[in-house]
Amino acid sequence: MNDKISALMDGELDEKSAAEMIDWVGRDGDALRVWRAYHLISDAMRDGCLLSDGFAARVAARLSAEPALLAPARLQAEPRKWLVLSAAASVAAVSLVGWLAFAPQRDAGSPQPQVAQAPADAPVMRPVVVDRKQPVIVPLPSGTNDYLLAHQGFSPRASLQGMAPYVRTVSDSAQESTK
Amino acid sequence: MMGGRAVGVLIALASGLAQAQSPEALGWLRKIQDATQKLSYRGTFVYQHGGRSETSRITRYVDAGGDIDKLEVLDGVPREIVRTRDSIRCYLPESRVVKVDRRTAERDFPALLPERLNELARHYDISLGENRRIAGFDCQAVVLAPKDNLRYGYKLYADARSGMLLKAVTLDSSGDTVEQFMFTQLAIGPVSRDMVRPKQDARGWRIEDSAAAPARLAGWELSSELPGFHKVSELKRRLGESRPVGQLVYSDGLAAVSVFIEPLAGRRDPVRTGLSSMGAIHIYTRQVANHMVTVVGEAPAVSVQRIADSVEFRRPH
Repeated sequence: MNDKISALMDGELDEKSAAEMIDWVGRDGDALRVWRAYHLISDAMRDGCLLSDGFAARVAARLSAEPALLAPARLQAEPRKWLVLSAAASVAAVSLVGWLAFAPQRDAGSPQPQVAQAPADAPVMRPVVVDRKQPVIVPLPSGTNDYLLAHQGFSPRASLQGMAPYVRTVSDSAQESTK
Repeated sequence: MMGGRAVGVLIALASGLAQAQSPEALGWLRKIQDATQKLSYRGTFVYQHGGRSETSRITRYVDAGGDIDKLEVLDGVPREIVRTRDSIRCYLPESRVVKVDRRTAERDFPALLPERLNELARHYDISLGENRRIAGFDCQAVVLAPKDNLRYGYKLYADARSGMLLKAVTLDSSGDTVEQFMFTQLAIGPVSRDMVRPKQDARGWRIEDSAAAPARLAGWELSSELPGFHKVSELKRRLGESRPVGQLVYSDGLAAVSVFIEPLAGRRDPVRTGLSSMGAIHIYTRQVANHMVTVVGEAPAVSVQRIADSVEFRRPH
């Protein structure tokens, strides 16, 4: 296992094996830890700037705390989860990209935005789907109690519940809209 | 995760098929309906919606000469509604107004007759739920689970002995409570005629009569009906002081949606198009052919909006 991770880091695997290995490292917690450790060793040997312990986890936590992730719904189903980076997190995310996803992008031709693959232990985020038919929310119209009084008599619920649903007609909420 | 959800749906479907339309549960609905009509009672109940809760007292007087129901709001301004065989009167002390809506035989609220119960079973899975004690009564729950997302679900708790409805919960598609009515105290038994008289003497108050009458609203219709909802009434009436409006009513046997059509000409306030809600009631307003269309219904927003969007006017030939 460790040999293969090492080979992946050194760019010795062909495209197919590399893709399989990346998938596996993404899924397997032990493999991911080995992957990180090897990079740490490699950085130390090259006298690079060392990141503090748990850096990736903190970046992942910061990313998950970012509000309002905007991800347009994808037409074709693809099982991989992508995170679109928000501006505030992008500086940290560049390091994350360097750490986790320096292998070649598999479908470089597709018009994907700059993305980083979520580490296996980061919470999965779902794209926010905005329904274009969402109506405008307005306060109750004036005279709501008139509408309710006119409507209530036709509700078949009355035959199970008697007068009770009429309480809406004189509810404070309906009255407020009339003032 | 998806797999788990699919299995969950399968289990729900399978149990739904197994329990759906149990004759026992349908029998309970009939029992609740009978109790609602035949019992005299007086009780305090709470209406909860969207974090609010309002307490009212309800009194029902059953008499061969005509039943009378009275509802009094106990919090804040003492508003009252009194329903007799012929009319519904709404007493509003703060504006010194009595709103009157006349009842006629043909537009009396539709009872859940056996054939209607069967219609109901086309849109809801009806099954028995748990037993629970409410306000001192041992209750049986009856669950109406909708078969699509165009209607709400209901959980009704009825007194096991009399069939009297003690609690009614309206649930949305994720199982969250949209609103609920619950008696906190109830005395079933004889009620005097005096107990259902309005407390307000209402002398000198303005009377707003709806003058509702069956009518044909030529040219107005839905381009497509919402599945399960059929037109049950068509009438003309007044709203408030003088606004003449047309009203079309659609129902699936349990939920009802009204379409109000008012001419824009002569309107004082601008039309605010959009959606508003109060408990299980959604109200959607839009403009169609120089008219304001207001759709009001105890149905999810999507249903009210779909009905509103399909309202159209075709010039009659």
